[in-house]
Amino acid sequence: MTTESQTHGEHHDPPYMLIFFVLLVMTLAEVGYAFLSLPKFWLGFGLCVMAIWKALLVAMYYMHLRWEPRKLWLLVAVPIPLVIILITAVLTEF
Amino acid sequence: MATTVATAGDHVAGAEHHELGFIRTYIFSTDHKMIAKQFLVASLVFLLLGGLLAGVVRWQLGFPGQPIPLIGSLFSDTTAPGGIILPEFYNSLVTMHATFMIFFAIMPLMLGVWGNYLIPLQIGAPDMAFPRLNTFSFWISIPAGLIMLAGFFVEGGHAGAGWTSYAPLSADPAFSGVYMGQILWLVSLTIVGFSSLSGAVNYITTVINMRAPGMTWFRIPLPTWALFVTSWLVLLAIPILTGGLIMLLLDQTIGTGFFAPATDGEPLLWQHIFWYFGHPEVYILILPGMGLASEVLANRSRKPVFGYHSMVVAIISIAFLGWVVWGHHMFQSGMNPLLGTSFMISTIIIAVPSAIKVFNWLGTLWRGNIHLDVPMLHALAFVSMFIIGGLSGIFMASAPVDIPIHDTYFIVAHIHYVLFGGSLFSIFAGITYWFPKMFGRMFGSKLGKVHFWITFVSYNLVFFPMHTMGLKGHIRRIYDPNQYTFLESMQPLNTLITVAAFVLISAQFIFAFNFFWSMFRGNKAVSNPWNSNTLEWALAPTPPPHGNFVGTPRVYRGPYEYSSPESIDDFLPQHLPPDRVQRPPVPRDPGFLPTGD
Amino acid sequence: MSSHTPALQGNLMVHDSTYEPGIQIYNMKLGMWLFLLSEVMFFTSLLGTYVILRFAHPDHFADPGAVLNVPLTAFNTFFLICSSVTMVKAFAAIQKGDQKGLKLWLLATILIGACFVGIQAIEYGALVHEGFVPMAAKYHALGRTGVEGGPIVGGPLYGSTFYIMTGFHGLHVSIGVICLTFVLIRAMQGHYTLSDHRGVELIGLYWHFVDLVWIILFTIVYLI
Repeated sequence: MTTESQTHGEHHDPPYMLIFFVLLVMTLAEVGYAFLSLPKFWLGFGLCVMAIWKALLVAMYYMHLRWEPRKLWLLVAVPIPLVIILITAVLTEF
Repeated sequence: MATTVATAGDHVAGAEHHELGFIRTYIFSTDHKMIAKQFLVASLVFLLLGGLLAGVVRWQLGFPGQPIPLIGSLFSDTTAPGGIILPEFYNSLVTMHATFMIFFAIMPLMLGVWGNYLIPLQIGAPDMAFPRLNTFSFWISIPAGLIMLAGFFVEGGHAGAGWTSYAPLSADPAFSGVYMGQILWLVSLTIVGFSSLSGAVNYITTVINMRAPGMTWFRIPLPTWALFVTSWLVLLAIPILTGGLIMLLLDQTIGTGFFAPATDGEPLLWQHIFWYFGHPEVYILILPGMGLASEVLANRSRKPVFGYHSMVVAIISIAFLGWVVWGHHMFQSGMNPLLGTSFMISTIIIAVPSAIKVFNWLGTLWRGNIHLDVPMLHALAFVSMFIIGGLSGIFMASAPVDIPIHDTYFIVAHIHYVLFGGSLFSIFAGITYWFPKMFGRMFGSKLGKVHFWITFVSYNLVFFPMHTMGLKGHIRRIYDPNQYTFLESMQPLNTLITVAAFVLISAQFIFAFNFFWSMFRGNKAVSNPWNSNTLEWALAPTPPPHGNFVGTPRVYRGPYEYSSPESIDDFLPQHLPPDRVQRPPVPRDPGFLPTGD
Repeated sequence: MSSHTPALQGNLMVHDSTYEPGIQIYNMKLGMWLFLLSEVMFFTSLLGTYVILRFAHPDHFADPGAVLNVPLTAFNTFFLICSSVTMVKAFAAIQKGDQKGLKLWLLATILIGACFVGIQAIEYGALVHEGFVPMAAKYHALGRTGVEGGPIVGGPLYGSTFYIMTGFHGLHVSIGVICLTFVLIRAMQGHYTLSDHRGVELIGLYWHFVDLVWIILFTIVYLI
C-alpha cells in the first residue's frame, strides 16, 4: 500500500555546479551575442533560444523537474501554448 | 436501505474531539463546509445587491426621467437628485450591476460555495488540501467586496466604464469623470483575484491528490469534474486580468501610457488582455452550473447521465477551446479582420461540445422516472434557457451578423440567458438540492415552486423581448433611448420589461425567506432524501461532521448507477461493496433500455 | 495540517498513499507548482504587453545598452543565478540531514537575493536620475552619455513597460527574500529534518522560478 520511494537525493546527485557553469557561460554568450551585428530577426531569435534553454535548465535541474513524475511535466507545460497564443494572436494586429 | 438521521454535533468515531470556540467554528473556520456556507451568505447578499442595481437601471429605462418612487430621496444629488437618475450614475449602475453579479455573486457561488462544499465530499476526502488557504480565500474576498461598495460613496462616483472597463475611457478622468471610483474598482478586483486563485490551487490539488481509494477519474461526479476543469481556467485566466488591471491602474494613477493613444499606447491591447481573461471567465461562470445540473437531472430522472464520458470530454473541450475564441467580443473593435475570421471559426466550433452536453441532458431525461421537485424544475429551466442563450450565441459568433447586433440588447439578452437562465438557475437547482445536506432540513417545497414559477415566467418576460429589441437597434448601456426617434417605439416594451423585472426581483425575496425559514423550521431531512449514489449523500452523515467520513471511504463504481438492473433499488451508491448489493429477485426493466422491437 | 486528515503514509517527501494515486507528489508541492503556473500567466500579461507594444511602436524603444545598463544587470543576473545555486545547495544539505549546511546556504541565498534587489534599486535610481521614468508625460531619457539636453532616446512606452516588468519581478524577489528569512528562522528552530523538509523544497521552487523569470526578462528587456 505504501510506496517507499526514496527522497530525490538518494538515487541521483544532480550536477548542480555543472549547470551553474553552463548558465554562467550562456549568460556571457548571450551578452556577447546581443551586440553582434546581425539582422534584428536573428538577434531576437537567437537570444530567445538561449534564454529558453537557460530557463529549461533551471526548471529541469534546479526545480527537479527531470526527476518528477511525467504527469507533472504535462501540468507545467499547460501555460506554454496559452502564452504563445496570446502573444502571436495580438501581434497580428500590428 | 439504510438511511440515517444524524444531527449536527454528532461525534465521528475516531475523529479527534475539537473544542473549537465560536470564532474558530463560525468565523475563521478551516472546514470547507463552513467556508462554503460563509461564501453562500456573502454571495447571496451581493446577488441581491446586483439585482437591486439592475432594478434601478430598469427604472430609468422603463420610466425615463421619472423620480424613483419610495426610495428616491435616499439618493444623493450627485447620483439621482430628486430621485431622477443622472446619466453618469446610470453608467455606474450598469457597470456595478455586472461587476457585482460576476465577481461577487456568480463566481463565489459557483466556486466558493459549490467548489468548497462538494469537492471533498464527492471525492471522499476529509477536507481540502489546504484548509487554512481556504479560510484566507473567503476572508480576502470580504475587504474586496467592501472596497467595491465604497466606490459608490467617493467623489466622482463609482466606475462607469462598463464591467469591461475599456481604456482609454476608464483610464482618464478627463474622459470618464471618475477617478477614485475607478481606482477602487481596479483594486477591489485585484484583491478578489487572489481569493479566486487560492481557491483554484486548493481545488485542483484536492481533486488530483485526495480522491478516496476507488475514486478513479471516471468515477468522479460531474459537479466535481466541472469544478476541477473550471479551477484550471481560474488559475490561468485570473492572473492575466490581474496584470491588465495593474497596468490600467498605473495608467490612471501615475500616468504610464500602456493604453493611452496620446502616448502611443494601444487601447486594443487592453481589449485583448481583458478578453483573453474575459472569455475563459464566462466559461468559469457556466461550467460548474453544467455539472450541478447534470447531477440533479440524473438523480431526479433516476437515470444515469447520458454519455457521462462525453460529458467529461465536452467540459474539457469547452475549457480548451475557450482560450481561442476571445476575439469574438472584439469583432467591431477595428481588430485585424483575418484574426477576426479565425475567432469566428473557433467560436462556431465551440458550440459543438456545448451542444453535445445539451443533447446528453435531453438523453438523460428521456424515458426517465421524472420527479418534478424544486431542484428538478430549476435544472430543467437551466437546460431550456441555456439552449436559448446558446442559440443566440451562434448568431453572434458570425462576424457579419455581429455587425448590426454588437452592443445592442441582443447581446444583453444572450448574456442574461446564459448567466441567469444558465448559471443562476443551476445555482438555484444546487441550493435547493444540497440544502438538506448543508442544513439538515428540507428546503420548503411549496414556496420553492412558487418562487420558481414566478421567477421563470417573469425572467422570460424581462429578457426574451430584448432579442427583438436588439435586432431593431436598441443600444446597450444606453441611458436615454428616446433620444433616437427609431427607438422611441420601443418605450412601451421597455416599460413592460421594467415591470416584469420588478416582479422578478420581488420574487427573490420569496427565495430568501424560504431559505432562512427552511434552515430553522424546515422538515428535518433524512441522510439521503434524494436516494443519490454520490458519497456526500449516501455515505456522509447529515450534516457531515468535521472530517466528513468515518475513516477513508472506498469506492466501487461510478456515480450514476440509477435504475441499475443489478440493484433492487433504483440507485446503487458508489461506496457499497459489490457483495452488499441487493439484487432484484427477477430481472427488472428500468423502462429506458432499447427493447429491440 | 488538519488533525482530521489521515496520517500521511509512506515518505512525506513523496505523496500521501492513503488516497487514489494522484500525481505522486505531495500536496504542497503540487500547490506550489500550480501557483507558479499562475505566475507564468501573470508575467505573460506584462511581458506580452512589452512584446506587443515594442512591435507596435519600435521607435519608443532602444537598442541594447543605449539606455539600460547591460553590464550591471548582467552581473546582477549572474548574482541571481548564484543564489539559485546556494538555494539548491541548501536543499541538498537538508536532504542529507546537514542542519548547519542548510542554515548557511539559506543565509547565503538571502544575502545574495537582498543584494540583487539592492543593485536593482541602484539601477532604478540612476535611470530615474537620467529621466527614464514610467510616467509617460515626464519621460525624458538621456543617452548613456549622460549629456544633459542630449538626444532623447526612446519614448514613454519604454519607461512604462520597463518598470512594470522589472518592478514586479523585483517585488517577487523581495517577497522571496522575506519568505526565505522565515524558512531560515524555522531551520534555526530545528523544524526541518532529513525525512521532512518540504518547506525548504517549496521555497526553493519559488526561488528558482523567480530566477527563471529573470533569465527570460533579462534577455528580452535588456538584450533584444
